[in-house]
Amino acid sequence: MDKSKKIASGLMVVLLLIIATLVFLWKQTGALQEEPFTSTSFAMGTYVQQTVYGENGEQAAQEGDRAVQELENKISWRVESADVARLNAAAGTDWIDIAPETASILQDALDVAERSNGAFDPTILPISSLWDFGGENQHFPGDAELQRFLPFVDYRNVRVDAEQSKASIKIRGAAVDLGAIGKGAACDQMVRAYQEASAKAGVAAVGGSIGLYGTKPGGGAWRLAIRDPDSGNDKAVEMGTLDLKEGFISTSGSYEKTFEEDGRTYHHLLDPKTGYPADNGLVSVTVVYQNGAMSDALSTAAFVLGLEQGRALLEEYGAGGVFIDRDHRVTVTENLKDAFQIVSDAYALAE
Amino acid sequence: MSGRRETVRTFQKQDLLLIVFAVLLAAAAFSWFQLQPSRGLVAVVEQEGNVLYRIDLDQQAQTEILDLGGPYHVTLAVEPGAVAFQHSGCPDQTCVRVGKLTRAGQAAVCLPARISVRLEAADGEQAFDAYTGAVQWGKGP
Repeated sequence: MDKSKKIASGLMVVLLLIIATLVFLWKQTGALQEEPFTSTSFAMGTYVQQTVYGENGEQAAQEGDRAVQELENKISWRVESADVARLNAAAGTDWIDIAPETASILQDALDVAERSNGAFDPTILPISSLWDFGGENQHFPGDAELQRFLPFVDYRNVRVDAEQSKASIKIRGAAVDLGAIGKGAACDQMVRAYQEASAKAGVAAVGGSIGLYGTKPGGGAWRLAIRDPDSGNDKAVEMGTLDLKEGFISTSGSYEKTFEEDGRTYHHLLDPKTGYPADNGLVSVTVVYQNGAMSDALSTAAFVLGLEQGRALLEEYGAGGVFIDRDHRVTVTENLKDAFQIVSDAYALAE
Repeated sequence: MSGRRETVRTFQKQDLLLIVFAVLLAAAAFSWFQLQPSRGLVAVVEQEGNVLYRIDLDQQAQTEILDLGGPYHVTLAVEPGAVAFQHSGCPDQTCVRVGKLTRAGQAAVCLPARISVRLEAADGEQAFDAYTGAVQWGKGP
């Protein structure tokens, strides 16, 4: 009797030990074993990459793709039936009805335009279409052409009534191009789609903009890489990392879209005041904010404003920023000091 | 224990020790296997979001040229531990300018050809969850 009791308790101990070990190991490795659903697609003239965690990751990613496509069909000036194309066509006439999403993005755009004193301007189309960056006709349009169309660039010509979902452009010849806010806005829509599809967590990346959704499985922060502006030619590398729990991240870099003509390199970040690419020593500005559209617009605004004024603008919004100048000096706003880390020897913090 | 040989052996102290030892051994092996920093770099080549190839770059012994054809005659250089767009007939050449991809999470895209190459870690452990800033991205919305 005594003996079998001993055996039984011995067996119990062994069993408990096995269970405890399995639970411990499962806890330890569970996070690694959860495979996210990843997908890539093309929309808004760019590359869309999604990583979605949770049982319905695949469905959430499909919803994400659909969200980007739907948004493009509303805010593109190239799609004839889009709100923005119709708005441009109606310039100088009357108010037109637009989708609530378009109204909200236009409103965000005007907000950043106003507070950056026009350093970001959604009415850049008359100038940006002359340069045609990334298009088949990309070229330096010449100073005379730029001066001719510059007077049409003024965000104050756009009026938005978000409550009624209406907008208008006051003068004929003025036109809206949401290229500098659209990718961030797409991240907003994708994160919303993940939420509606009850995904567990996910990362949406549209061009250079990123949206974070939920808590990274396994705990800890999402780790994002800021691209080295000098990468390319055998160096597809990162210059720094950002560890973030949430938010939207956008980068405006002069390396992103360029062409050469007569020995000069032109980049796509145009200063709405001059019509020329902004030239103030910066090569890249990364912005972290709670809203994707705004993070995108703010990165352009801060790039065009330059380090000092750009930093002041971000502080006004409570946004985070990482500024890189052409001498590889890096300036980080106070609120990102703990999250940001330089990983390349070629870069150093300013000050 | 009586020590009588004819007793049917059921369960003894040595057996318990043996089982504990076996469990510990299994646990150790399992942890070792899990924590092993398996490199396993996989290049995923996609067109229009559909996977064309999955190439284990750690198994790659030498440089190979992968001809993807199409209107832009895209070719990839697949090397041990790296992959790059070697050629594309597209006007912007941004995919070629990206250079060699060597770490999980990196990607290069030829927008006109709608071909993308991204690196995945075989064990799912990416160095980064995403890259901000993009070398390219044709026409905006």
